[in-house]
Amino acid sequence: MTMRTAETFWSSCFGYFTKELSSQQFNTWIKPLQLDLSNSTPDQIVITAPNRFVQQWVKENFLATIENLAESHFSKVVKFKLNLENLKNTENEEVPKENETSEILPPIIKKQKSESVLKEKGPSQQNTSRLNPTFNFDSFVTGKANQLARAAAIQVAEFPGTAYNPLFIYGAVGLGKTHLIQAIGNLVLSQNKKAKVRYIHAEQYVSDVVSAYRHKAFDEFKRYYHSLDLLLVDDIQFIGGKNRTQEEFFYAFNALVEAHKQIIITCDSYPKEITGMEERLVSRFGWGLTVAVEPPELEMRVAILLKKALLEKITLDENIAFFIAKHIRSNVRELEGALKRVLAYSRFTGLALSLELARESLKDLLAIQNRQISIENIQNTVADYYKIKVAEMYSKSRTRTVVRPRQMAMAIAKELTTLSLPNIGEAFGGRDHTTVLHGYRKIAELRVSDSNTNKDFNTLIHILRG
Amino acid sequence: MKQLLLDITPSPSPALDNFVPGHNRELLQTLDEIIAGKERFVYLWGATGCGRSHLLQAVVAVAARNKLNAVYIKCSSADDMNATFGTHVAADCVAVDDVKFLNASGQISLFNLYNHIRDEGHARLLVSGPVAPAQLGLREDLVTRLGWGLVYQVHELTDDEKVRAMQKHAVSLGFDLPKEVSDYLLRHGQRDMPTLIETINALDRRSLVDQRQITVPLLCELLEGR
Repeated sequence: MTMRTAETFWSSCFGYFTKELSSQQFNTWIKPLQLDLSNSTPDQIVITAPNRFVQQWVKENFLATIENLAESHFSKVVKFKLNLENLKNTENEEVPKENETSEILPPIIKKQKSESVLKEKGPSQQNTSRLNPTFNFDSFVTGKANQLARAAAIQVAEFPGTAYNPLFIYGAVGLGKTHLIQAIGNLVLSQNKKAKVRYIHAEQYVSDVVSAYRHKAFDEFKRYYHSLDLLLVDDIQFIGGKNRTQEEFFYAFNALVEAHKQIIITCDSYPKEITGMEERLVSRFGWGLTVAVEPPELEMRVAILLKKALLEKITLDENIAFFIAKHIRSNVRELEGALKRVLAYSRFTGLALSLELARESLKDLLAIQNRQISIENIQNTVADYYKIKVAEMYSKSRTRTVVRPRQMAMAIAKELTTLSLPNIGEAFGGRDHTTVLHGYRKIAELRVSDSNTNKDFNTLIHILRG
Repeated sequence: MKQLLLDITPSPSPALDNFVPGHNRELLQTLDEIIAGKERFVYLWGATGCGRSHLLQAVVAVAARNKLNAVYIKCSSADDMNATFGTHVAADCVAVDDVKFLNASGQISLFNLYNHIRDEGHARLLVSGPVAPAQLGLREDLVTRLGWGLVYQVHELTDDEKVRAMQKHAVSLGFDLPKEVSDYLLRHGQRDMPTLIETINALDRRSLVDQRQITVPLLCELLEGR
């Protein structure tokens, strides 16, 4: 086997997995793997994984497939060795000394918070973890959408600072990221009461930086953050564009990682897609493990409702949970809000929970949802999103800039409405239902191979469902 | 000779018992639960004039009477909303009206306040807007939080209920409103509750000044600006 054939094999292997796995799975497990040609031999290919978790997961779930692919590619048995990548990136970047910084705060940060808030939440109260004890792994409902994130979270909680650092969890709002990371904090604390754990929302971190700046208390600030055993930072995108805060966070990050202390971060997007984030931080976010949480599927939404009802000590019939879950699809918070509304209505009327009662109590909410997902609404929203004219949705034009958005709108119409494909085709300028089907398949394909298309699709669904 | 009016009648302040419930009885019960601390987060939405501000102010008034630190905040796009939200982190009951108007930094401030109240564990937060949370067009992390608690549409009153509401208001001012006057007003005037109530107030003043009975002709004169 020559180096070139190994490379050809590896790229065909990538090709295979892009088709077989969801883009999230591919990005998490396969994409970070690297071919180590210098250590490979004709009978053994060496691959490196960025951390132990990926290494283990790939070994258990994908290695057999890779070996089979290799056997058919090379027409002989080839062994694979999965090594850990050295943390070579630490050496590439020089970490500036902490006292070199004297950057002036941008005015936007100065206006962030009033003094009273700063006093209320300033470093003086930092001895507490700020964790909500109800956020634990038992009350966290798992499904396909978050099983990877949960598995990773448990690993981190059991081996803080050693498994992989940082753990970076990303996903849209209201999908349980905060719950998950607080569950890690609570588990770590229950195992080691003396552990110094701190949960902080990034917005609050910004405020703390401003406060430290105003009160000239940076030493105390640094001492505190650098002394933690576990730092949980929620919604890191909030520090985007805030240079001074990013700088402080950079120091804290380096200090903690060097001391093998665990950092866990959540974000609304993939590290590289955060706006206004310094490159050195983006690259550090990728040092450990990056996992996504996706919107929950139907079964999981049902499970969430049942669990929530159980916590409220209410017996919820599965049919009712199914009804709510079927109609409220966008995020977990809205789902919980809907359940609360059903319970409030039951209290108000004095009637027992029933499907009829659920339907009646959610009438307003469902009317809004139904109104939102008409096909015209989809066409308008998609056209607006891609900055094309709505008329292009039903025009004969077949230029690429128009065709893709049109296919996107068709795919979304199929996903969000119960209209038949001929009806959808009709609404797109009298097109045939096979055109709709083609559009739908094309988008499904692109969602796997192109993260932008996947992101566009998810964003549009989110906008439309509200 | 015209009667000069000594305008000392206090206009009735927003209260839960001078709100005509119409289709909003469940909401009113929820507001009682909010006051009692059994529920903590509610979002009210509905068209201008549906009574959102009335309800929020009424809840704040009751809470204040119950010795709670309660505050009513009317949103605007001004930057000082930051400071406004920031100064009320210690309140027991915060009502935030017309959240739609918040600019980017105001939204972050409300987001922080929400998180603070949720973590802190006992204070109540009432928020209102013209549409349901998801339709507000504000930051997603904020609107999903607003949709996390109880969400109610404040339903407009039917015409019959509006008539009853006007009559109730007239009684609070010390006179009976003839049915034909309220019917006429509904057919010819603007039909949102604040305008109707304001017209009744004007009609009351006009009747006292002119020393005339409250009749359809008097209302016509008032509406025509004579």
